[in-house]
Amino acid sequence: MIYYACDIPEDLTYDIERDVWIRFDGDVATLGMTDVAQTRCGKFAAISFRDVGKVVKQGKTLATVESAKWVGPFPAPFTCEILEVNADTFAKDILTANKEPYTDGWIVKVRPTDLEAERGHLVTGEEAFEKYKARIQELKVNCLRCID
Amino acid sequence: MSKKIRLLYMEDVSPLRSQTVYHAVGYAMTKDTPNTIIMVSPNGPYVSIGYHQDMQKEVDLEYCEKHNLPVYRREVGGGAVFLDNGQLFTQWIFHKEDLPASLEERFKLYIDPLVATYQELGINAMHRPINDVHVEGKKIGGTGAAQMGIAEILVGSLMYTFDKKTMSQVLKVPSEKMRDKIFESLEAYMTTMTEQLGSTPDRAEVKDLYMKKVSEALGMEVYEGEWTEEEEAMAKEIDERFVSDEWLYQKGQLKQQGVKIHQDVHLVETAFKSQGGLIRIIARLREGRIDDISFSGDFTLLPVFALGALEQSLRGVSATPETLQSKIEEAYYRLNIQSPGVTPTDFTTAIMNAVTPPQAA
Repeated sequence: MIYYACDIPEDLTYDIERDVWIRFDGDVATLGMTDVAQTRCGKFAAISFRDVGKVVKQGKTLATVESAKWVGPFPAPFTCEILEVNADTFAKDILTANKEPYTDGWIVKVRPTDLEAERGHLVTGEEAFEKYKARIQELKVNCLRCID
Repeated sequence: MSKKIRLLYMEDVSPLRSQTVYHAVGYAMTKDTPNTIIMVSPNGPYVSIGYHQDMQKEVDLEYCEKHNLPVYRREVGGGAVFLDNGQLFTQWIFHKEDLPASLEERFKLYIDPLVATYQELGINAMHRPINDVHVEGKKIGGTGAAQMGIAEILVGSLMYTFDKKTMSQVLKVPSEKMRDKIFESLEAYMTTMTEQLGSTPDRAEVKDLYMKKVSEALGMEVYEGEWTEEEEAMAKEIDERFVSDEWLYQKGQLKQQGVKIHQDVHLVETAFKSQGGLIRIIARLREGRIDDISFSGDFTLLPVFALGALEQSLRGVSATPETLQSKIEEAYYRLNIQSPGVTPTDFTTAIMNAVTPPQAA
């Protein structure tokens, strides 16, 4: 679903406050920046990841992103252990998340450690889209993607 | 929004603390912490590198060691910069809800009081979006942004003086000719309050003026406060991290082409192997045009005066392959240039490789 050029796929789960999308697959979750997040961040210039195997608490930093004008964290939507980082993809093309935020541009794969206790704020489907519409209006965002 | 902004005024602190202080206030921020502006100036010179830079690749560490210049990695992006007492850093540590959501608007809010301060001093400064401050085409300080904990950070400076010579010395560059070009470009495209006014303005006056302009821009009172025990403890913790080898020598991944002088001006260097020999190029690009260019290498180009004439003919030319090729061919024809094994297309390719480097396979 698209709103102000921002794609909010309804099959994903979202931490809207942290602008993180989540794709659950069994006990593994793939995480990435939403279209809104990558637009607000701007073109990536560099990304560094926390170590695989590290347990990161909810809200703490899984990776640090540097764009042309800003440096900031990619936060954990819930406490989780880092299983895999998408470093190779970003090494080949640092703009991957600016081009394909929901597919090739994923950031990390994690295993939640206490999901049931920490998932109350997560939303999906129509509810996520409606909440994102309000957020997009509040932030006055018009999403942009980089192209090759 | 909080009604008052706390000001921490810290002239004459150590180089290390001039960096760690805003990180500390940022990371120690809680929902009850007031929005804070730190005005801080170091009591000695040092080099600050960007978050994702590789210190060993970007900084001439031998020069720094010889001249007792410490190097600190900041948690703000961008490139390496030489800093000293000639700058008064203006560091904002704010709650995110008290700043505009968009970076463009956020930088405008931050830069407006800097510009207003310069203007009241009689300097014709203006905001060059997104995040530079310019005086008639010359930069008088850049800015950066970051998020640390729950705090949103904006940093920049009021530039009394800037040691351009040392700035050009601390960077690791491929050749001394490139270093000379960096210095030349800094001279041409950077300025300071002292250069603009003919003398250095009184620091206390500048501080009061900036506080006044911040208060006007934000519509809030700015009061001089103290930092808390928690913030000081955090600063000590960050001090330790910032001098650790693990932090300093962490492998950076920021790939930058050449040296950015300001928003519109970049200096690039490249080499291209043609059949007739290696063509080395140092080019200064301004708003997509060749502002200055020099060729060297082991190729032959006759008549002897033609190399300089070719360089001259490319100044001001748009850095696109078609325009360059046309200009170079025209110079070859006009000057009757002979260059065994080197064609106009080789020069065009060499320049374009500097402007937009070929992607690694």
